[in-house]
Order: sequence, then C-alpha cells, then structure tokens
Amino acid sequence: MIQITDEILNKYLDGELSREETEQVKSGLRTSEELQKKYSALKLVHEKLFDMKEDEVSPAFTDTLMKQIVRKKFAIPKQQKYFIVSIATFITLLCLVIFGFVISAMISSAPSSIGESKSVLDSVSNLTDGLVTTLKHLFSGSGLSIIGSIFSLLIIISGYFFFEMQKRSKANLSNGQHL
Amino acid sequence: MRNLSDQEIIDSVRKGNESDYSIIINRYKNKAFSMLKRMLKNEFDAEEVLQDCFLKAYNSLNNFKGEAKFSTWFYRIVYNSALTKLSSQKRKVENEMTSVEEHFDLESQHNADDIEKKDIQEFVRDIITKLPERHSAIITMFYMNEMSIEEISEVMQITVSNVKVMLHRSRNSMRDFILKSKLAEELI
Repeated sequence: MIQITDEILNKYLDGELSREETEQVKSGLRTSEELQKKYSALKLVHEKLFDMKEDEVSPAFTDTLMKQIVRKKFAIPKQQKYFIVSIATFITLLCLVIFGFVISAMISSAPSSIGESKSVLDSVSNLTDGLVTTLKHLFSGSGLSIIGSIFSLLIIISGYFFFEMQKRSKANLSNGQHL
Repeated sequence: MRNLSDQEIIDSVRKGNESDYSIIINRYKNKAFSMLKRMLKNEFDAEEVLQDCFLKAYNSLNNFKGEAKFSTWFYRIVYNSALTKLSSQKRKVENEMTSVEEHFDLESQHNADDIEKKDIQEFVRDIITKLPERHSAIITMFYMNEMSIEEISEVMQITVSNVKVMLHRSRNSMRDFILKSKLAEELI
C-alpha cells in the first residue's frame, strides 16, 4: 500500500500513476474524507486554471511593432551616418577651396587694370581676361594634374553616393510591394 | 494565410515578406503577454518586454534552425527577457535549485477571507501573480499556453522533474489556501 502524499495526489490528477497505484489512490479517496477534501480542492484549482482566459495586449500592439520593424530595417546605421556626414563636409570644403583659389587667382592676375578702368564694362572685360589667364595657367603643366586628381576624387565619391542611392531605392521598392 | 504553420511563416519572412511576421505576432502576443504579466507583476513592463522579445526574435530569425518548435524557441526568449528585466529591477532571482526548493507563503500575502469577496475564477487569476516568478511562469505555460512539461523544461532550461516539482508545489499552495477559506465547504 503506497502512502498517499500530496505528490501522489498531483500525479493521480495528471494521470501519471500506474494502474495499481491508481487503484490504491481511488480506494484511499473512498475511505478518507480528509483525502477526498484535499483532492477535490486540488481538482478545483486545476480546473479553474484550465478555464483561465489569456490577457490581451493593447489593440495597436501589432501595428506599432510592425512599424518599428520596418523603421529599424531601413534606418541608416550610425556608422554609415557619420561616414556620409564626413564625406559631405569634405566635398563642401573642397568646393570652397577651389572657389576661393579661382577668385584669388582672378583678382591677382588683373588688379591694376581694374583700378585704372573707367567704366563697368571695362572692369568686366578685365576680369574676364583675368579668368582666362587663370584658367590657362590652371590647365597647363602641374595645374592640369591637380585638377585631374580633384575630378577623379569627385567622380569616385559621386559613384559611391549613386550606388548607395540605388541600393536604398531598390530596398524601398521591394518593401512597398510586401507591406 | 492564417492556417500556415510557424515554420512556413518564418520561411516567408526570411524570403523578404516582412508583413507575414504580423501573423506570428498575432498568434503569440496574448499568450506571451499573459506569461510576462504574471512574471513581472506589471502590465506596462510586460508589454514593453514583449515588444523587445518580438524584435529580438525577428532579428534572430536567421539563427532559428528549426530543431525545436518555434513556440519553444520564442518562449525561451520571452522567459529569459523576463528574468533579465527582473534582475535589472534588482529583484531576487534565485538559481535553479534554490528556486525549486523555495518556499512561499500565499497566506502571508493574501487574506483567506478575500476569496469570499471575489469570484473563484478571478481569485485564482489573482493568486498566480502572488507566486514566485518561475512558478507563475510554469503555471501560465502549462495551463494557458497548453505546453507540455518537456517543452516547459526546454524553455526554462531545467529538468523535467524540477518542472513537475514546481508545478505541484504551486498547485498545492493554491489548494491549501482555498481549503483554509470559509468558502471551501461550499465549493468542494
């Protein structure tokens, strides 16, 4: 005869006992009122737990989460963001340097003639002459190789941005088809 | 679309159909929420952690090999996230053995006469939140999510016998509490 402990009652409830043990528990339940009371209470808890309904999350939960997933997927990574900002800053600075260099070269090549000229038309024609002289100077000898290097650099950087843009628009397009 | 298996949905998401992930979310959100709510004892925290769990699962979908059921894999993320949240809240999270051996006294937290003021169903719901976190997780997984003892042991990374011990202990504790109430004679 087995001793009917709480553990045995739980196993009986879950149907984990052997046939012989089950019979012994059944007989014990018939003879002991105390045991019967314990088992009934255990069964009540078991049944009430099974009847429990699940809790519900807020109605907008799925939509909010899906938006987060999409936003995260297409967000620019922090490292990439820093890279883009540094490249853009570099290009801006380069443009400013080139612009400044051209202006200063123009002015230095025709300073005396601007002061001596009598009309606005003369000044403009003098400045144009200065620009032509500067360009001639730039596109000859070592100046030409510097210009070439700058243009090559600009083409490489533009190529990178073009490639990134293409990749992004392709991803956005496929996302639009799926969502 | 709703009758697709978890694996079929995951394959579809992996192929680039992100929107199919919403089927997985709708399938598991309430079950996982019920478990988290009882473990964390706080509705707001439960929903916040649940969001993180779905995001973690989405980001790790490529790591899901399909050796275990998706539900088991997902509930493991939910369970571990709940434990992390609890430990971050500096709550007491004990190791496996002490957790199995832990004693809890529902009577010290509840007045047995409260049962008379409430519906027994509501009372049982309420009393689960008074159980220690691991016990309430087991009760929710076993009864609400209808998971087997083996699945629960996989989720919690403890032995099957330990799951049974904790399940029985929780049930006994709730039973004893009901037996001590005045309403016991009417109910039983």
